[in-house]
Amino acid sequence: MTAPTQPATGPNSGPRGGYSDGRIVVDNLTKVFGTQRAVDSLSFTVEPGSVTGFLGPNGAGKTTTLRMLLGLISPTSGKATINGVKYSALPRPLQSVGAALEASSFHPAHTGLQHLRIYCAAAGLPARRANEVLDLVGLTDAAKKKTKGYSMGMRQRLGLAATLLGDPQVLILDEPANGLDPEGIRWLRGFFRHLASEGRTVLVSSHQLAEVQEVADRAVILNRGKLVRAGTLAELSAGTTTAIVRGPNLGPLQQALVAAGMSGTTEPDGSLRVRAEQLHEIGHLAYTCQVELHELSLERFDLEKLFFALTEGAHQGQNFDHGPQPGMPPVQSGPAQGR
Amino acid sequence: MLNLIKSEILKIRSTQVWFWMLVTAVALTVLFTLLSVLTISSDTPTDQIDYYGIFTSGAGAGVAMLVLGLLALTTEFRQKTITPSLLATPNRWRFLGGKTLAYVAIAFVYGLICLVINILLAVLCLHLKGFPVSFGHGASGGIVKEFISFVLLAFFGIGLGALVRNQAAAMVIGIVYLFIINPLLAGIPWIRKAYPFEPGGALGVFNSQHASDIGTSDIPHLQPLVGGVILFVWCVGLLLAGGYLSLNRDIS
Repeated sequence: MTAPTQPATGPNSGPRGGYSDGRIVVDNLTKVFGTQRAVDSLSFTVEPGSVTGFLGPNGAGKTTTLRMLLGLISPTSGKATINGVKYSALPRPLQSVGAALEASSFHPAHTGLQHLRIYCAAAGLPARRANEVLDLVGLTDAAKKKTKGYSMGMRQRLGLAATLLGDPQVLILDEPANGLDPEGIRWLRGFFRHLASEGRTVLVSSHQLAEVQEVADRAVILNRGKLVRAGTLAELSAGTTTAIVRGPNLGPLQQALVAAGMSGTTEPDGSLRVRAEQLHEIGHLAYTCQVELHELSLERFDLEKLFFALTEGAHQGQNFDHGPQPGMPPVQSGPAQGR
Repeated sequence: MLNLIKSEILKIRSTQVWFWMLVTAVALTVLFTLLSVLTISSDTPTDQIDYYGIFTSGAGAGVAMLVLGLLALTTEFRQKTITPSLLATPNRWRFLGGKTLAYVAIAFVYGLICLVINILLAVLCLHLKGFPVSFGHGASGGIVKEFISFVLLAFFGIGLGALVRNQAAAMVIGIVYLFIINPLLAGIPWIRKAYPFEPGGALGVFNSQHASDIGTSDIPHLQPLVGGVILFVWCVGLLLAGGYLSLNRDIS
């Protein structure tokens, strides 16, 4: 399986529908299965032309939300729209929205090419478009192989190829990195970058937080069906940069930092973690206090740490990592933040 | 709608199911036709030959059409292709309509093939046995009804498949009904009064030559055409009920 280094999504390098719209609006969406509220009063907006990471632990309600957005699950209340209308009301759905929800939605006896041609026919697209998108995702060599012989990574690529059939301006991807090997993940990163550069609206749920942080403009974080945080990565990272200070005797520096109005914490190993965007002020204070430093570095915003802080307790397994999770902004919740 | 039908036909053509269903239908047609002709005694007077029965003997192959129809929607759920299918055609009734038309079209072609084989084989066997060939005694009308019953059985299968999404369960219910429950209904006193009004009974009435051909005297004797109408109403009703229950469910 070969991976193209520079994914391109269409012969014209841009969605046929143009960039005039592509807004996704989830408005007070709720889904109750029996007694369980899988999604609870969820509201957020995905701006046109943005790449938005849709994050949350397993069972947070991400897939249910995406399926409600795509008309596959009926919401108990609330609504979700794309381009201002429900998915089922889109006149040419595959030309407006490309969605990849699971890597097993293929008939095992169909080849990859047959699978795509079936949906080309349904959408009124020329059959050659199937070959084009297979080429885009590096599956040309496997085009005539039955999907039952596909690896998980190949299935993911086939799912992504299907999303591009209609060259849509909106892409909705559910865990597209699942099953991809490191090369595949690197390819996916390039794929996301290219989609973003074309100005497409991309909503991607993923556990590959580092990948999401690298390509996403915004993030929507769910936990137990509720929105816990939404915003641009710049908004989410505000005030989270931390300076790490190590040295044999940091007492005088600590006092000087407090006097300078800076806040932070002392770690069990004696190092300091100070809320700061830059290091020069701390360096200067250390110099004036005559404090010997062994390390003075910045710990930048880390989406993964924010994610774990906001979804703490969602995973029921035994915790093998008792390391500190410092520098986290306080957890806030409520649908009002989603907009 | 044409795109949708094209897509559905492509789905069927992309697997070998279409071929094996055709082989099954043709094999059953050949079997029943041979049985109907070869069991005629050589000393049977010409006016005693059941030409209607001979030229409609391929109707037994309709079970293959029923199975084909059952596969239409149950395969989508079994293979989880219902998700991409509904993403391409989010209007579920439109999706079901397109699928029904595609399968009815395929049943039409299969029916035509079986009909031709039924006629050619019957003519050949009658000739070899030295009997004259005749399309009288309602045989020509029977041929048309046999063809229509093929299409109706596929239609019925689609509706049943929409109602019972589980493929194995739908198959068992369809075949057990047709071969076990249906004949039982015709034999149980009191219950058999309703026999012509249930789908299998209506099919039997439709395929019969005369109103009096079906069952015992306490079974209402309906005209064959009425049986066809009753079966058609069942097909539409089942499709609507199945469509409502199955396609309105969450696809998760």
